[in-house]
Amino acid sequence: MFEEASEVFDNMFKSSFPLTFIVFIPAVLILVSPLPTEAAHEFTVYRMQQYDLQGQPYGTRNAILNTEARTVEAEVLSRRCVIMRLVDFSYERYQKALRQSAGAVVIILPKNMSTMPQDIVQQFMELEPEMLATETIVPVYFALEDDELLSIYTQTLTTSSSQGSSSAAEVLIHTATANGFQMVTSGAQSKAVSDWAITSLEGRLAGTGGEDLPTIVLVAHYDSFGVAPWLSYGADSNGSGVSMLLELARLFSRLYTYKRTHAGYNLLFFVSGGGKFNYQGTKRWLEDNLDHTDSSLLQDNVAFVLCLDTLGNGDSLHLHVSKPPKEGTTQYALLKELETVASSQYPEVKFSMVHKKINLADDTLAWEHERFGIRRLPAFTLSHLNSHREAQRSSIMDVRSVPYVDLRKLSRNTKLIAESLARVIYNLTEKQVQEEQLSSVVDWLTAQPRAAQLVDKDSSVVSTLEYHLGHYLKDVRRHYVKADKRDPEFVFYDQLKQTMNAYRVKPAIFDLLLAVCIAAYLGVIYLAIQHFGVLYSVVRRITAPKTKQH
Amino acid sequence: MTLFHFGNCFALAYFPYFITYKCSGLSEYNAFWRCVQAGATYLFVQLCKMLFLATFFPTWEGGAGVYDFVGEFMKATVDLADLLGLHLVMSRNAGKGEYKIMVAAMGWSTAELVMSRCIPLWVGARGIEFDWKYIQMSFDSNISLVHYIAMAAVVWMFTRYDLPKSFRLPVTVLLGLCVYKAFLMELFVHVFLLGSWTALLVKAVLTGSISLCSLFLFVTLVHSN
Repeated sequence: MFEEASEVFDNMFKSSFPLTFIVFIPAVLILVSPLPTEAAHEFTVYRMQQYDLQGQPYGTRNAILNTEARTVEAEVLSRRCVIMRLVDFSYERYQKALRQSAGAVVIILPKNMSTMPQDIVQQFMELEPEMLATETIVPVYFALEDDELLSIYTQTLTTSSSQGSSSAAEVLIHTATANGFQMVTSGAQSKAVSDWAITSLEGRLAGTGGEDLPTIVLVAHYDSFGVAPWLSYGADSNGSGVSMLLELARLFSRLYTYKRTHAGYNLLFFVSGGGKFNYQGTKRWLEDNLDHTDSSLLQDNVAFVLCLDTLGNGDSLHLHVSKPPKEGTTQYALLKELETVASSQYPEVKFSMVHKKINLADDTLAWEHERFGIRRLPAFTLSHLNSHREAQRSSIMDVRSVPYVDLRKLSRNTKLIAESLARVIYNLTEKQVQEEQLSSVVDWLTAQPRAAQLVDKDSSVVSTLEYHLGHYLKDVRRHYVKADKRDPEFVFYDQLKQTMNAYRVKPAIFDLLLAVCIAAYLGVIYLAIQHFGVLYSVVRRITAPKTKQH
Repeated sequence: MTLFHFGNCFALAYFPYFITYKCSGLSEYNAFWRCVQAGATYLFVQLCKMLFLATFFPTWEGGAGVYDFVGEFMKATVDLADLLGLHLVMSRNAGKGEYKIMVAAMGWSTAELVMSRCIPLWVGARGIEFDWKYIQMSFDSNISLVHYIAMAAVVWMFTRYDLPKSFRLPVTVLLGLCVYKAFLMELFVHVFLLGSWTALLVKAVLTGSISLCSLFLFVTLVHSN
């Protein structure tokens, strides 16, 4: 714009005076009048995090920029605003920009994250904490891409990339004529916000049946974290946890309205803020309740504290504990119920307990339950993540769409947890369908025939059924029906079971044949006996010579 | 036709006895009553044997498939009482050796026939079911007739005072064989798993050989004087 103005001036002075005068005055007036802030393109940028935690500063320290735009391919980056697209983003380039003391870094993110390939998203997710860990004075901004921004980028890209490769003459022409962009932020320098209050919410459902009831605390932190605060949507971490907590609150409030389903446990719901900043909300709440109040539900009988963190996806559920629960305690009962419900009703869910001791030497606590553990309250966190260090717990990429929050899995997890909690609260460990019971009853019933003609009023089937019903019900009575004498509806007949014998028989001819054979045999015997004397004399003759020799 | 079958079996069993009685010339000696007495002795001896077995031999409590060799051997030893009974009968009858032998044997075996075979035949052979075992039973009674004749002959020979020394051993062996014949038969059946007809054949052969040996010895003895 300035170049054009200078051209006009040149023309003014070269050509005739009066004409230029007519043109000159309005031009000057226009020029002098306050310029409307009309930029080539105006867009919202989101600054990277800047915070101090426990005295340690994180993130970028600066907010204002007023520098020329360059892309990372350019040679000279110092005091320039480096524009990068997410697809081209890499940690080396970022470091290069910072090392050359760039004036600022602007990272352009696509409007729709799901168009990005997963590996780029994953890589960026893992780089976010590293970007935050290195404290820098270079302001880093994020912008959402639109067509004009893209065109600005491509123009800057051609300018920057051509700088190195062209000849001196081209460079000279470029410096004079090229279209550059100046990036200016509208706001002021960043400063610390004083008296910022982090809000947490608590609510309760009182149990029935006397004083000193045990309390169950359900906790979820509602805040989110990412490399840029305005872009942290935190869908899975911890939007899923909060939505699950609200749903559980709704379910149990319904149950507690009716006297029959009002259980003997106090339910305390706590939606905590500042969760991503080392669970500040929970810490202060615990201090207030345990140190500064005379009596609170947290001081008396706490059965357990269940923290919900990142449950919107995945086919595994991990119960993170700092101390494995002992047998016989309510915490152990919850652990067992979670295992049982997961294995019997949701077999695709792999449930496991993860034991991690609280490490007070770490900068930040791992999970929210550790805050309670430090104050000696039995607590655990349920999450589908195996480790608290997973990148997706604190990423701007954690948005509503499918890789992070799958509604079916969230609702399945909610059902699982609600079922397990209900079983513990209502002591329903035996009040479920028992397969062994069913199978033994079916085995007994099918072991005998139960046709109507066979089951009379004294039969064991009837008496066993009567006994079994009498076990659980009142007023078990028998009722008989006999057929009407004159016009019977049904008539039964007997002789339903007989013994049949099969005898081996031979045909009649056989007996005759046998008689003939026996007659023949007897005839032979008769002859033999008649002529026994012959045998006798033969034997005598055989033995006789021997005796003669003697 | 099952009564017919009973008739068949009965004829098969009884006729040889009848024929033997008739053809051995016993009827000429009016030996009928003596045979009956021999039969009575048989009954008495069997009763004593049963009492003895019941009192002194415990029931075998082993497995069903295991054959108690020793127990059965002991039980068979009790059958020595048979020999005593035969001797008793023969000693009470005066007469020639052959006469004594025949009377004793006839009476004994007829009593056995009546006692142990008639009732099974009457009950079983008349039934609808046909079984070969009734025919086999009848054959068996024929074989036991020959067996008892041989046994009586051996007993008579054993008790003779004029038995030559060289005869002692064979006679004793034959005596032993006679007594333990039943035991041996059961052993054979058990060890070689013989079928019923094969067992019958073996029994016939065994009895035949025993009787032939005893006949040889008898003839030699009688005609050596």
